[in-house]
Amino acid sequence: MAYALVALGFVLALNAASAVNFAHGDLVVLGGAVASFVGLSIGLPAMLLLPMVAIAIGVVGIVAARIAILPLASRPPEATFVATIALAAIIEQSLTIAMAGAPRTAPALLGGGSIYIAGFVLGRQPLAIVVLGAVLVAAVWFLLERTQTGRRMRAVAADRYMARAVGIPVGRYVMLSLALSGALAGVAGFLLGHQFLVAPTQGAGHMLKAYIAVALGGWGSVPGALLGALGIGLFETFVAAGFGDVWASAALYICVLAVLALRPQGLFGEPVGRRA
Amino acid sequence: MRLSPFWLVLLVLPPLVALATLPPFGQRMVILAGIYGLMGLGYQLVFGQLGALNLAQGALFGLGAYAAALAAPILGPFALPAAILAAAIPAALVAAPLLRLQSHYFALATLALASLVNLVAVHAEGLTGGANGLAGFATSLPRGPVLLVTVWVCLIAGVLLYAWLFAGTTGKKAHLLREAPLLAAALGIDGAAWRFVAFVVGGALAGLAGACSAALSGVVSPEATGLSIMVLCLTLVVLGGSRHPLGAVVGAALAVGLPELLRDLQGAWLLAYAVATLAVVLWAPEGLAGLIDRLRGARRSPLILPTLPTSVPPVPGAQRLTIDGVSKSFGGVQALDDVSLLVDRGEVVGLIGPNGSGKTTLLNVINGFEHVDEGTVALDDRRIERLPAHTVARLGIGRSFQALALAGDTKAADLARAVATGAAFLLLDEPAAGVGDHERRALPAFLANLRDAGRGVLIVDHDIELLSRACDRLVCLDRGRVIASGSPAEVRADPRVRASFLGLDGIAA
Amino acid sequence: MSAVLEIGDVSVAAGEIVALLGGNGAGKTTLLETVLGFSSGRVTLFGRDVSTLAVERRIALGVGYVPEGRRVFAGLTVRENLEAASSLPAGQRRQRVEEMLALFPMLGERPEARAWLLSGGQQQMLALARALMDRPRLLLLDEPTLGLAPVVVADLLRRLSAMTADGTAILLAEQRAALALGVARRGVVLSRGQVVRRGSAAELAADPMLADLMAGA
Repeated sequence: MAYALVALGFVLALNAASAVNFAHGDLVVLGGAVASFVGLSIGLPAMLLLPMVAIAIGVVGIVAARIAILPLASRPPEATFVATIALAAIIEQSLTIAMAGAPRTAPALLGGGSIYIAGFVLGRQPLAIVVLGAVLVAAVWFLLERTQTGRRMRAVAADRYMARAVGIPVGRYVMLSLALSGALAGVAGFLLGHQFLVAPTQGAGHMLKAYIAVALGGWGSVPGALLGALGIGLFETFVAAGFGDVWASAALYICVLAVLALRPQGLFGEPVGRRA
Repeated sequence: MRLSPFWLVLLVLPPLVALATLPPFGQRMVILAGIYGLMGLGYQLVFGQLGALNLAQGALFGLGAYAAALAAPILGPFALPAAILAAAIPAALVAAPLLRLQSHYFALATLALASLVNLVAVHAEGLTGGANGLAGFATSLPRGPVLLVTVWVCLIAGVLLYAWLFAGTTGKKAHLLREAPLLAAALGIDGAAWRFVAFVVGGALAGLAGACSAALSGVVSPEATGLSIMVLCLTLVVLGGSRHPLGAVVGAALAVGLPELLRDLQGAWLLAYAVATLAVVLWAPEGLAGLIDRLRGARRSPLILPTLPTSVPPVPGAQRLTIDGVSKSFGGVQALDDVSLLVDRGEVVGLIGPNGSGKTTLLNVINGFEHVDEGTVALDDRRIERLPAHTVARLGIGRSFQALALAGDTKAADLARAVATGAAFLLLDEPAAGVGDHERRALPAFLANLRDAGRGVLIVDHDIELLSRACDRLVCLDRGRVIASGSPAEVRADPRVRASFLGLDGIAA
Repeated sequence: MSAVLEIGDVSVAAGEIVALLGGNGAGKTTLLETVLGFSSGRVTLFGRDVSTLAVERRIALGVGYVPEGRRVFAGLTVRENLEAASSLPAGQRRQRVEEMLALFPMLGERPEARAWLLSGGQQQMLALARALMDRPRLLLLDEPTLGLAPVVVADLLRRLSAMTADGTAILLAEQRAALALGVARRGVVLSRGQVVRRGSAAELAADPMLADLMAGA
């Protein structure tokens, strides 16, 4: 479920900036790190910490885009490719340095544990992740489908030129999408940071999963990204149950390669420009 | 660019200085720089020259390292060629399906591949020693001067070859492939073949680098296949200059030298390095080597754009271009409907018609950018409608474009290029659009030259005056159908043609 | 009559339709894009110099645009296309959507359909309705009749004529001169970005050289 949030953030940024943000995974890790630092030093209850982290990483997301993605919009794709990878490395290294002093793999705090009443032998945190994740996904869905803001965000993603030509202030909506993307990444990092320790090198793994989800679910499609993330989650759980975690990852990679080899236009055959 | 003495000296200096004056520790650093340089050079082929977002170079480096470690006890120095093959062969196997992919899918595929290789390296304990890797194996080459010389001889040879190769037409073709793939195909450049070769050779160099790295450290761990080595490769190439012959070397020198210089700042050197990379992307995209060249005042050879040729050589080839019964629709819109026409050598045929009548689609279908739904296109007896664009180009069909694909290009250069391919038949798409009066007046003479030289020309344009004077025949399309064909005077006077240009038939209902 | 739009030699007054004619590549789209602000150039809208104003701000002054190829927001429904294009407050906006759906029956029939499913004619109507949402005083259309069935074309032209009654100024760019001149009061012919002929619709329609001009001679 947390991966659904990551994928959702990833696809929103993709649609807003028309570029893959390789640093997205590191925004997730940053969320976990901020949560653990702030949570350990000031004992804030999770409910207050969560929006703080969301806002913080939302801001970071915007700043990152303004530095490494938007200025390069008119350059060939290699430029944003390298810039976002460099950005990812910057965040990862900064975290490594920052965390070397403090207790390194600081687990994120109690998370939602203190809020929910666990009736069964259900882990509180996993339950909290599922519920919170579902609430967030529903909220984003509501935003996109039922509000004027969301409608305009989708119009901008569909046809930026025409969006301007109907009077939509495109720049503002791009920022909004990027802020939301960052916020989702931060929350995901917070949620993941409790169950899995926060380590700076995790960024790449998160990003890869989101990337796969978006590629398999239909490039740029929000429901597709969510389905892709859920699909990956289910797939990995099943394979892991039978053969272990390692095979789960390996199987995933092999499947991705097979799909891309057999259907170079993606699972849903989007009408992208030709490869000469 | 031809390598100037400045760079030649810089290239040869490190190994010489290292051999002559440096202690073993210093020599090891120079060897490491050479190793990174080799990997980077290979990466420059795929990423720098062809612009492909490749994330598998690190994995290929690791494959080379592991292969060398495993083979060294048995093969000794021959472990090096073995390692090269161990990287090049998998690269060749995955290249064909992978290189067809769009850039963002290609990046994902290479990333997935690299992750898979890393996974195997970490978990296939029996083969790779698992997370601890392999150690203490007899290295293929003794560490020290022998290894240094081997690495640097290969690197220097590679850089010289690269510089020589990409200074000439190869460089221009790579530039075209990167910036304007359709134009490249229309000039007969087989993009798929190029990408394949670049990927495999690049991979081979990575494998070699990996093997030398194994020899240098005597240890191979899954780190060698991990993301960090890939990011290092990418960043050093970008920092140094992704297309500059010494880009990889400069980047590698930084990658090895910086940790030493910033030793007090411990982990911070990587951060500084990443920030430097971002800065370079934003403000000095040609890289540090390119920046140094700029500061040195080294002049880039000015881009000389050809002008309209005054004399056109005759060429061999097919005698007749036949379009028969061609139909093509796009998502429910019938762009071409049972279109037939002929072009012979030594004649200039003009294609006219209002917007949306299918003129450009027809040209695209003839030269292979689009496939017909029905009908045939043939050069003499040879059917060409299913062939890829670069093959059609080589069979003798040249093309100029309505919208110039290259930055800084001119219509005249575009035309000259098409003529220079020596194609028997030329498809010219709106050569008069957007050009000044002077150039427009030169066009009829140019077309007459083409005719006299025996080329066959099919020209699309909106300037009826021009086409009436320059063409032997006119064909008029309207909504995908041929509605008139004949001499310019006949077609212009044809009431159906006049009606189509005024849109009169639209209000018949 | 004060001009609603002035750009170079071209002007449009309130309540009139001006036909912008010319073959492909004559510069019609470029001119429209300059009016909107996608290309730079001196433009006067509603009596003020908007040359440095951003696209979105010009639209907000009261401009509606129906581009070549319609460009409806493919993944959004008919209703969402209309809503997204409006900057009115929510209540008024929803009201206006209902008005549009009533005014354009072929849209009113399937307001929840995704725009990419609509036929060419339906998309054209959607593009027009979308441009009309905030009651623009100036309407720009780029080759709206391209690829449409004659019945739909006639309907479209009728609607445009009707709009002039409440003072809307319309600049209609068309290759199919006869169609545009049938509803316009005046016309301007472009060739290679320059105005080469000007006159009342009647004058231009009767001009025997018009076909040649349109063909780019």
